[in-house]
Amino acid sequence: MESFFVRYRNPLVLLALLAAQIIGLATQVHRADSGRMSLDPRDSGGVRLIRLWADALVSPPERILHSGGSSFSSLWSNYIDLRHVRQQNQQLQQTIDRLRFEQAALLEDARQGERLQRLLNFQPQYLYKTLAAQVIGSSGTTQSRVFYIDKGTADGLQHDMAVITPDGIVGKVRDVFSHTSQVLVINDQSSGAGVILETTRIRGILRGNASGQPQIVGIIADNRIKSGERVLTAGGDQIFPRGLPVGVVEAVARDPERDGFVNVIVKPYAALDRLDEVLVITSMEPRFPADQQQDMAESEAIKGAEVQQQEAQKKASAVMAERLPGLIDPNLPADQQPLNDSTPPPPVAHTVQPLHPDRFTPGNAPTDNTQPPAQGSPIQPRTP
Amino acid sequence: MPVLTATSRRELEVHRFPALVYALVPLAALVLQAWLPRVMGRYAWFDLPLVVVIYFAMGRPSPIQGTVMGCILGIFEDALTQHPIGINGVAKTLIGFLASSVGIRVDVENHTVRVLLTLALSLASSGIYFFVFRILLGLSLAWNWLDALLVAIGNTVLALILFPFLDRFRIRD
Repeated sequence: MESFFVRYRNPLVLLALLAAQIIGLATQVHRADSGRMSLDPRDSGGVRLIRLWADALVSPPERILHSGGSSFSSLWSNYIDLRHVRQQNQQLQQTIDRLRFEQAALLEDARQGERLQRLLNFQPQYLYKTLAAQVIGSSGTTQSRVFYIDKGTADGLQHDMAVITPDGIVGKVRDVFSHTSQVLVINDQSSGAGVILETTRIRGILRGNASGQPQIVGIIADNRIKSGERVLTAGGDQIFPRGLPVGVVEAVARDPERDGFVNVIVKPYAALDRLDEVLVITSMEPRFPADQQQDMAESEAIKGAEVQQQEAQKKASAVMAERLPGLIDPNLPADQQPLNDSTPPPPVAHTVQPLHPDRFTPGNAPTDNTQPPAQGSPIQPRTP
Repeated sequence: MPVLTATSRRELEVHRFPALVYALVPLAALVLQAWLPRVMGRYAWFDLPLVVVIYFAMGRPSPIQGTVMGCILGIFEDALTQHPIGINGVAKTLIGFLASSVGIRVDVENHTVRVLLTLALSLASSGIYFFVFRILLGLSLAWNWLDALLVAIGNTVLALILFPFLDRFRIRD
């Protein structure tokens, strides 16, 4: 018996390891209602423990590599590669000045929209509380499009929080450890985000394909879908807030599995394979940051000044109207004032042109204040 | 005059390394595999842990070492993804066993043999991964064989650079 184990110890070890892993795999998948096999969305205790060990082993060296790379790139970009920086700075300053004005105007619209939404009992979701995080590593395989960020439960991150960049959405937090988190990117095959086409208002689910391109799957063929149309988040998935930019339609391909359906290939706004920093939406409560509040206050002040100026103009007009002779008759009631008199003016008598003008002809008479005014001459305003 | 069989020849060429190399090289492979795709983007066509498994497995006469190393590295690779733990584990366990078994029978000092073995074992690893994911577990996975081929070529190029480098750490009798 002993000789059997000694002789076949190599294949026996192999079989034992394979059997243990296959049994472990069987516990991690289950049959869905549709009949297909699917992954458990949440890891069991043992699996999570292994993931925790792997993260604890790999994340510290990754952080060192990341900080080393960041320091070098910072040294290069901040102290060495500074060509055209002054010119760019001036251009950016001009852009900022222009954008601040535009932002103040847009914020007014946003506030108005928020008020209208509140009237309609919608939850207003314009601005969110976010946390900046740095990307420190990836899964290392093209079959799994996840990456790791340097923030975790200690920083308030939770499962299923949306991850975005200023350009567009990136993914969602899939697993959270104490100081790191795993983010599932929107171009992974197992991801899913509710999206809507901006112009045609067609809704669908965004997920990745084998080449790592995000695509909207299961859409009924529609000729209105054209390349270049913007794709936004629909807000129905309880992860991504409504209206965030996703990308643009790149192409429309026939669904190979279902007739009459198409897959819409989307070119994402965010550079999904070259991310350095991302924002995690930690709270969707409406909130205005300090600088935007300042802009809003400035906008309010500008608006108040305009109103005051208009009031002052009205007041000055009223004073002017009071002082103008003939327009207000103190002896007449208000509804019969000349300004308010809506009756048509009396017809003006046309003077017959004489054949031979003499000194009595209007216009030819010498100036004499003592003479009474001629009949048919224009009414002189009365002085008070 | 003794007959120099393949087995006896291989027994004379057992590769031994300091314990630190056995610990640090697989760890470095895991860390770099997780970190480099962030720098290289979509062009990260390689599987460093697989190359390391093939190297260490080919240098030892006992397949157990290669099998266990493949199992551990594969499981840790799986743990860094969102996929079930064990898919890469099964693939690399088998590759470790195969590499060790082949390493006993052929001369792995030859660069051509190393290159061809790495290419073949990389393709085999992708095939096993696909089999476990799609057939054994029944999960849906869109697969691109061109990517698998590019990864195999990338592994081969890495092997050409990495194997001579790791040979420097070998303990000479």
